[in-house]
Amino acid sequence: MTAVPLATAPGTGRRPYPVRRLLDGQPRTILFDAAKCIGCRQCVEACKDWNDLPRGDYFHLNSATWLAMAPPVLEGQASVWGRQSCMHCEYPVCAAVCPVEAIVKYEEGPVVIDQRTCIGCEYCIYACPWHVISKDDVSGKAAKCTMCSDRLAVGQEPFCVRACPVDALDFGLAAAMRTEAEARATRSGARLYGALAAGGTHVLQVLTHSLAEHGLPRVSTRRYPRHHIPLRVKLGGVLTLTGGPAGKWRAIKNAALRPWRLRYRYWPR
Amino acid sequence: MAVASPSLAALDALCPARRRTPLPGGYMGKLLHVDLTSGRCRDLGLPETPLLRQLWGGQALATYLLLHLLPLDATPFGPENVIVMMTGPVAGTGLTPGGTKLTAVYLSPATERTLGRAATSGFWAMALKAAGYDGIVVSGAAGRPTYLYVDERGAALRDASFVWGRGTRETEDRLRAAVGHPDARVACIGPAGEHLVRAAMLVNDYNHTAAHGLGAVMGAKKLKAVVARGTRRPPIRDKARLIDAGERWRRTLKSRTYTVEKRLRSVGHGEDWGAITRQNWRGTIITDQNEGFDQNRVTLRPCFQCPRLCPWDAEIGEGPYKGTVVHFNAGSEWMDTFYNLGLKGNAVLYLSERINDLGIECSHYADGAGLAFEAWEKGLLGPDRTDGLRLEWGDVAAVERLLERCARREGWLGNLLADGPKQLAAALGGEAGQWVVHTKGGTPAQHEWRPQIGNMLRELVASGGMKPQGGGSARPAPDLAYREHWGPLAADQPDGWAWSHLLSEEYRQACGMMGACWFALQAHEPDALNSMVDALAATTGWDVTLDEALDAGLRSTILQGLFGTQRGWRAEDDWTDVGPRFLEPIPDGKYQGFTIARWLPDIVQEYYRLSGRHETSGRPYRATLERLGLDEFMDWSVPE
Repeated sequence: MTAVPLATAPGTGRRPYPVRRLLDGQPRTILFDAAKCIGCRQCVEACKDWNDLPRGDYFHLNSATWLAMAPPVLEGQASVWGRQSCMHCEYPVCAAVCPVEAIVKYEEGPVVIDQRTCIGCEYCIYACPWHVISKDDVSGKAAKCTMCSDRLAVGQEPFCVRACPVDALDFGLAAAMRTEAEARATRSGARLYGALAAGGTHVLQVLTHSLAEHGLPRVSTRRYPRHHIPLRVKLGGVLTLTGGPAGKWRAIKNAALRPWRLRYRYWPR
Repeated sequence: MAVASPSLAALDALCPARRRTPLPGGYMGKLLHVDLTSGRCRDLGLPETPLLRQLWGGQALATYLLLHLLPLDATPFGPENVIVMMTGPVAGTGLTPGGTKLTAVYLSPATERTLGRAATSGFWAMALKAAGYDGIVVSGAAGRPTYLYVDERGAALRDASFVWGRGTRETEDRLRAAVGHPDARVACIGPAGEHLVRAAMLVNDYNHTAAHGLGAVMGAKKLKAVVARGTRRPPIRDKARLIDAGERWRRTLKSRTYTVEKRLRSVGHGEDWGAITRQNWRGTIITDQNEGFDQNRVTLRPCFQCPRLCPWDAEIGEGPYKGTVVHFNAGSEWMDTFYNLGLKGNAVLYLSERINDLGIECSHYADGAGLAFEAWEKGLLGPDRTDGLRLEWGDVAAVERLLERCARREGWLGNLLADGPKQLAAALGGEAGQWVVHTKGGTPAQHEWRPQIGNMLRELVASGGMKPQGGGSARPAPDLAYREHWGPLAADQPDGWAWSHLLSEEYRQACGMMGACWFALQAHEPDALNSMVDALAATTGWDVTLDEALDAGLRSTILQGLFGTQRGWRAEDDWTDVGPRFLEPIPDGKYQGFTIARWLPDIVQEYYRLSGRHETSGRPYRATLERLGLDEFMDWSVPE
């Protein structure tokens, strides 16, 4: 992996989190087509299989379930399904609020929490507009979908995409997926979700029903959407032993070296 | 170990809680022993690794244990009958197609002398492994309705009186609610099991059924259901290799057999060769049986991590059953079941849902009720013995009412339908014995198999008339080309079919033993068998080969036969204890006049000889047992 300073990437402006390159720098997108989805949850179990997460409790997102399908009923008992997982924002607010810069945006699309760096402060959990980040009870750290960045690094598609038995999931270069998603949405009179939300994401969803029926929130189109980290969480991050001395040192160092990033955490616009 | 006097006492020695040999990958390492009489549940280990390497899991390992546990004088419905339920190493890994299989064995209530074998897919096997168990041994009988709840903290028997008498759908929903975990997986029996209908099924995960009387044995034990959940996953020896093998396996399933479009028009499996069962096997011609199917809303509902998409749900979209939601697995025997009673269209799907909710193996009802309707038509059965019910072909209400009577053993006819078509024919007397379809007192899977030599052979030699697990393939597996050249498998000539059946039985048994479903094994595709064997090797860490897999499959078949041998079954039963209608020339259509009866018993005898067994007694030759490492059963062999 090569660290690429954002300032050198034309047109993107400087970013309040680390940006790195995984493979070739070409952005990718996951395409979910609700019109094809049969709600079998093979993507959900595949996510657990690749990441060695515990089975069970797969109706809702948690530290052992990084991908869930709404509504929370047994397979076959609904006809409209929605994909609930990290949307891999182009401008990830979770990464922007991380005081230790444990969340990395990869040029290829994935937004990944570095488990070694995370101090478990929970800022990201509250900042995420889709509420897809969970805290692991055992490790105390934040967990979510990685877009299988470890597979992507060797040119493979995310494991959930590979598992889908009805081709409701697709994966490819962002521009091609966008074109494909728009064509599908136009053909079937469906709506496209994820293209504009939070300034654009790397998960596009072709939806046949209302957002509520797919179990998805309406998210502002602005980059780094307005968020609310409760004061007790903010104070907890600053004043308690969260992250230990090493974590505190990393946070102080980051604040000192890149003070302009602080406003995303403590004084959001 | 001597097996002359099997008893439950052998369990602890076979399944030591502390193992001496390392546990191969894929296994959870624990069996659960549930004694319903005492209400005690306890954890056991798995057999030692050399035995696991021979038998893997599934039917073979379960049957081996049963051979050591079940007294020779046990009766199907007595508390001494034992049920052994077993998954396999690949089940629940999530990384192969069809890794969903659990097989249960017990003394068959349909024949009272052969192995009962109930195999099921769906999600339940995965949930049992997630709870930390590879299998369950059920002994004794409970004094009142009971269900078993299993999770990582252990197992407990709980009161099931609130679901006793309920259908399988409602039971599943209520038990899931009762345990408070929406991800719990339920396998249960319906009213038919409670009333000891000899072919009552176990039904799990809505769309899945385990046939051949397991439901009745559970009903006799007052065990309504097994509910499982957990968070554990099988340890895998070489995950990257398993993913690769699974990917290769998936590629062999690329050409999708089951699609929504097919479900919206298909009359079922018989469409593949153009014959269905009609009017108690007296007609085969497909006409407008699919009327109205295209108005339904169909959802494919695959098993755990399997891309083959066999199971499906439908919401009926027209007619008197509009709005009814129905749940099915891959096959379509239930459709032929009701074609066999003169029905068509969505009434067939409606009644299929009813039979699965009541929990009766459909062919059992198809052949029993078919015989009753024919007897009515021919004046052998009158309203005095049907409690006034008129048995006119195609009368939905009559078929449904009779179905309910069968499930609850109501009246003279309901009671005999519950026992089976062979018993009904004997009670009807007259010529009814000529009109009946059965195999050794059980019933063949309900399809019009009679034009097909391989499938007929499979149905005839299946243990005790149960639905067979595998065999009968008409297409040689390309992966076996390195050692086998069989054929020509002409549709109207017997040559090669016995060998083809034996080989396909071997690899399909092997597939089940590793905890995978042979519906996901399309052996006629290149790499299907090799990827399957590689998946087992990657999961367990064994250097297993395809040759070894075929031997393992044969081992399972031989154990199945030994179980019957010990209880009085003989190979000649396969062609002598058969309902005559099953061997009659086909009455109409493009196969009119064809019958495999002209090659009986030669083709069945050829199969037994090729499998290393005596052609009339069915006992294995000594050399067969020696070659397969089953010397401990030598008392039941014959010299070559």
